[in-house]
Amino acid sequence: MSLSELLSEFGEQYLQAMFTTWKLTVLAFSIAFVLGIVITVMRISPVKPLRIVGNLYVQIFRNIPGAALLIFLVYALPYLNVVLSYFIAVLTTASLIPAAFCSEYLMAGINTIDAGQIEAARSLGLTFSQMVRRVVIPQALRSVVLQLTNLMVATMLTTAIASQVPLKPRDLTGLVAYINTHAVGGITAFFISAALYFATAIVIGQVGSFIDRKVRILR
Amino acid sequence: MASKEIPVIELKQVNKHFGNLHVLKNINLQIKKGEVVVVIGPSGSGKSTLCRTMNRLETIDGGEILIDGEKIPKEGKDLARLRSKVGMVFQSFNLFDHMTILDNVTLGPRDVHRTSKAEAEKEAMKLLARVGVDSQAKKVPAQLSGGQKQRVAIARALAMHPDAILFDEPTSALDPEMIGEVLAVMAELAKEGMTMVVVTHEMNFARQVADRILFMDGGEIIEENTPEEFFTNPKTERAKAFLNSISRK
Amino acid sequence: MKDKRLSAVDMLYEEPGPKAKRATAIATTISLILVALLLFYVIRLFYVNGQLQPKFWSFFTKWTTWRFLGKGLIGTIEAALAAGVLTFCIGFLFMVGRICPYRVIRAVATVLVEFTRGVPTLLFIYFFFLVIPQAGIKLNTFWRIALPVAISASGVVAEVLRSGVNAVPAGQKEAALSLGMRPSHVFLKVVFPQAIRYVIPALISELVIVVKDTTFAYVVNFPDLMQNAKVLVSNYDSMLPVYLVVAVIYILINYTLNQISAAAGRRRVRAGAPKVQNTQTV
Repeated sequence: MSLSELLSEFGEQYLQAMFTTWKLTVLAFSIAFVLGIVITVMRISPVKPLRIVGNLYVQIFRNIPGAALLIFLVYALPYLNVVLSYFIAVLTTASLIPAAFCSEYLMAGINTIDAGQIEAARSLGLTFSQMVRRVVIPQALRSVVLQLTNLMVATMLTTAIASQVPLKPRDLTGLVAYINTHAVGGITAFFISAALYFATAIVIGQVGSFIDRKVRILR
Repeated sequence: MASKEIPVIELKQVNKHFGNLHVLKNINLQIKKGEVVVVIGPSGSGKSTLCRTMNRLETIDGGEILIDGEKIPKEGKDLARLRSKVGMVFQSFNLFDHMTILDNVTLGPRDVHRTSKAEAEKEAMKLLARVGVDSQAKKVPAQLSGGQKQRVAIARALAMHPDAILFDEPTSALDPEMIGEVLAVMAELAKEGMTMVVVTHEMNFARQVADRILFMDGGEIIEENTPEEFFTNPKTERAKAFLNSISRK
Repeated sequence: MKDKRLSAVDMLYEEPGPKAKRATAIATTISLILVALLLFYVIRLFYVNGQLQPKFWSFFTKWTTWRFLGKGLIGTIEAALAAGVLTFCIGFLFMVGRICPYRVIRAVATVLVEFTRGVPTLLFIYFFFLVIPQAGIKLNTFWRIALPVAISASGVVAEVLRSGVNAVPAGQKEAALSLGMRPSHVFLKVVFPQAIRYVIPALISELVIVVKDTTFAYVVNFPDLMQNAKVLVSNYDSMLPVYLVVAVIYILINYTLNQISAAAGRRRVRAGAPKVQNTQTV
């Protein structure tokens, strides 16, 4: 099929698919970011059971393949009487895994902070929560902007697992699979989706480096 | 008269161990208002640790430390409040890397004293002018020289209107040509009546600015003396040996 | 004491006073209770829904079950190794392209690297599964999974290798050139062997991504661990236990790879190698 044929027949579906991929990416990344912060707080808390649970979470979800997690959520959980919609199952998979990586980056970010910064905050008379809010979190976040940018791209790539369930409307990968099983979409169908992913990744990357340049800490 | 006045900082029978190492041995010390006390001694003598205990950046195992007659508590808001009364200037400056120079100086007043932004900034600019770095107010620490950073650190401490300032080897991390500018600011402060505890290797500064010299070795205060007496006629053999060793360098 | 640069994580909390100790003890107790309740709830959920019945689990005591899963695991390992080797080769070519003196080649390599990094593995898999056959090219199932997985990871590997090459001190290259070696020789004999040592930890963690991506083998019907798990599920009508066990197997494999990578990283640091950032993501 030529590009114009493809676009006239599937153009609208491509738009919908792009929107689905974007929606999943933004939602999943936001959830992963918040969850990653919560898990990081658990991992640095003085409460040992929380630390253990946080570390366990990271080891499980940074090592589980997305396909294994999605299949488990979609096909195995109903046996426990827990039924998730396809959208929620995909979103959960694409959030839980990046959250583990987000926490790893934040831990590394906290580790880049010099101990002297904390002593200085203490000696000024800042309370623990003031110190965390004014010194620890701003410094940790500023140093992980590029990693979080890469994570957002990785989250987008993870949302392609949506193609493994009958999600409606389809995502960009699911649409290529659909077109090529119902028509001879050929290489063009593949390249339209690929180009849309690629362009999104480039935009995310550019925005990320822009923010990084703005907030990076000179040392 | 002196006995009636409450010392700004008082240490009673302070002891501290790092594992098996007894780093502070039965330290008793009173620092009066307006006094400049310079602590000297060989490295590993415990002088830095002593300085840091006064802000509870180091904990102690025995004895007590009082600020304005109030015992430093182990935790909580009271600890933060007492810390805010005693400024600290570190060897490695420890300016907040992610903030501008101005924000470094206003953070304490705004967060701890709840001073308004405008007022905190107005005073911060005055203090920065006083230490000679007001033209750098909008820059971040990484853009400043070591000497400038340390002067900002002094302004940051001053902004809290502390009852005393602790200087923990403030010139040891500086290039030689920058030591003078920092010491000049410190001498100026001393002249204006600031209560200061200074841990340093700068003997000329000690001699000219100190009201009292504490010589430490092996975790003990070996000798307490006026600078005049200490440098010309030290009472103890260990102080004599120390002064000989540094004058040979 | 002073020279050791402590990081913020070690310094975040002060030595706890009596109040802080009490608060921590209370929080520990409460969190322990919550964790216990959660565990209890999950086990109860299994029990109530009959998922603890022996018939769902008993086949795990059979040798044949594990042999079958083992076969799948071998499939996974074969696919992952083949993809890993391919990734390395393609990544190497991309990297050479990116540091090539010719601008056009550099630009092409950059686009290819960014393309493979910005497009999901599954899309490559569908490309090889659905699009390539339309062009009349026949690939067996093994290559239908190994090739796209390899291509998908190659861009990241190229960047890892490049960061290693950049970390080799310039003096090494200059010294070799001054001996009269040809530039290509210098690169292959002096620079690259050192670069590869710097990035071994990062390359091992890349293997984790490759292993994860091979789980899509079921899409092309290649018998890997995941695909064989599906067969087990239909044979024993035991969905939940099989997928749980398989997930744990994957986690353990990848955990082990990550531990090896971390150990290799520590060894490199001890050997004084420059730090090369580990870029592994999801």
